[in-house]
Amino acid sequence: MSTTISVLSAALAAAGNSEVIWHPADYWDLSIPVYLFLAVVAGGAYLTGASACLIRSLRGKGACCLETEIARWGFLVAIAAAAGAGLAVLSHLAVIYRAILFPIYLTNFDSWITIGTWILVLLSLFAVVCLLLQLFGEHAASDEGASLFPRTIVAWVSPVLLETIDGLVDRVRPPMSVFAGLHLLGSLFALGTIYTGFELAIVDTVPLWNDPVIIPALFLTSGVAAGIGATLALTMLFEREIGPVFAGYALTVSLLSAVSLALLYYGWILLAASDAPAAAASYATLTDGWYYVGAWLVVLGFVAPMIIGLVIGLATFADRLSPTLERVGGPALIGSFGLLLVGGLLFRILLLLAAAQNPLVVIG
Amino acid sequence: MSADDDHWMFYFDPNRCIGCHACSVSCKQRHNRDADADDWRTVSHVSSGEYPDFREVPISMSCMHCHDAPCEQVCPPDAIIKREEDGIVTVDRDRCIGCHYCAWACPFGAPTYDEEGLMSKCNLCLGEGPGGGHGQPERQTPEEGGAVPACVDDCVGGAIKAGPKSEIMQEVSEEAAERFEQGAYEGRVIVEPLKEDGEMADSIRNGDELNIVDMAR
Ligand code: SF4
Ligand code: SF4
Repeated sequence: MSTTISVLSAALAAAGNSEVIWHPADYWDLSIPVYLFLAVVAGGAYLTGASACLIRSLRGKGACCLETEIARWGFLVAIAAAAGAGLAVLSHLAVIYRAILFPIYLTNFDSWITIGTWILVLLSLFAVVCLLLQLFGEHAASDEGASLFPRTIVAWVSPVLLETIDGLVDRVRPPMSVFAGLHLLGSLFALGTIYTGFELAIVDTVPLWNDPVIIPALFLTSGVAAGIGATLALTMLFEREIGPVFAGYALTVSLLSAVSLALLYYGWILLAASDAPAAAASYATLTDGWYYVGAWLVVLGFVAPMIIGLVIGLATFADRLSPTLERVGGPALIGSFGLLLVGGLLFRILLLLAAAQNPLVVIG
Repeated sequence: MSADDDHWMFYFDPNRCIGCHACSVSCKQRHNRDADADDWRTVSHVSSGEYPDFREVPISMSCMHCHDAPCEQVCPPDAIIKREEDGIVTVDRDRCIGCHYCAWACPFGAPTYDEEGLMSKCNLCLGEGPGGGHGQPERQTPEEGGAVPACVDDCVGGAIKAGPKSEIMQEVSEEAAERFEQGAYEGRVIVEPLKEDGEMADSIRNGDELNIVDMAR
């Protein structure tokens, strides 16, 4: 990150300030923004899976339907993203086994890293249980769909094993009320991934991060939108027809993207108006060269799903989905969700790279 | 918002610092650290203006053993401990996971990380070497038989002092004491006002028109 510092110095010099050499704020590498992003993506994907189950029971549908397919992809993405987040953060640590033994070692519950570790681990457990219940058992055995690929893998390993798991899952399958409770609790942990924002927001020394509302809210809305988007994109790759369920999720992503954009704009205004030297340094970095291009990519990542989701969502509900729109709608939505994922990750990377700590001076 | 009377603190007088780096060198020697290891005590040279109005002030900094220890608050495995008995902030390297969160939280850039990736920093010469302060008995003053911190001992100009707050407060100027009581530096360190160049001090406080060099370790 020494490049960051020199870019920053140059940017400040260009802005008419004298050259300032900052204490290098290079304590974290790029694995941390990946971790911060994937943790909330896991939360968003879990929420998609849980809500799909809820919609299915509200609509009185059987087990074999689009909602089940969305639910399975949601829990699958949640598990993959949580695993990715865990691996990313572990790769950055010096003593990995102490982090793996977190119930013994992470004892400071005032630290957002401790709180976050518990949230991420519990969310993963809930996602695994929910996925197993959707993936195995009598209903799943008679269902079809791309999201059932883990069954194929298990069957390939051993057909007897698949039969055993199916039987086991049917035996322990909880009643609807327990199911609802499971999803509710899991959803609380999914929303709890907002902790990733608090991990940065409490750092007093970095004005770019130090906002207890905007940063956590932005982390949540952008990450959850990306989690829903990733789940929908995977589902749509195999189920092309755009119906009211897809449209509802697309509208939700559109709304979350719009809120993210508004928060981003508000945060940007605050940063520009701040007279703290480190805030000015971060602002100078973000308006310079590739950082500036990156910042616009983040904006694009929110604008695209906001507009495309709104158009397709409203057209579907108003029953005005023309054949052309129907044909291009799916790929357009998938593309916009891809941009959302890129933008959400880039947003966190830029936050890290443009971070400047208050200059350290102890003098009269 | 200040340390307890019997908690140890640092005092720094920029008017007496000549920027010779004796403090950071002696710190390394006392703690038997490699010459190329990151400094627990850094000396930075802060300058403003251009010749002939060029001014430069050296500043010596380390962990200030903050009364509120922001590093301790964020440390997930409770590896950082603000000790009740003497206020010294120590590190238990047998618990540290090397997450670097403390570095972000610290307002003075004090935490350093060695090749093992574990945190180490000044322990006010309570013990020797990285993590040497952890689990040591209560800090004794030199009068009680305790060691004088290396940086204090070897400071050529007598610019650094360390000791229990009640003792340090008796040795500082009225102006420094008053500013400290008013919350300067959030009560984490006592600093003598810069006398020769009030204008520069102002610009430093505002964070503008200055060059800070040698900040990087
Ligand atoms: S100076 Fe930094 S490392 Fe030392 S106690 Fe304060 S916050 Fe912790
Ligand atoms: S690097 Fe070590 S001492 Fe610092 S916060 Fe992490 S665990 Fe605590």
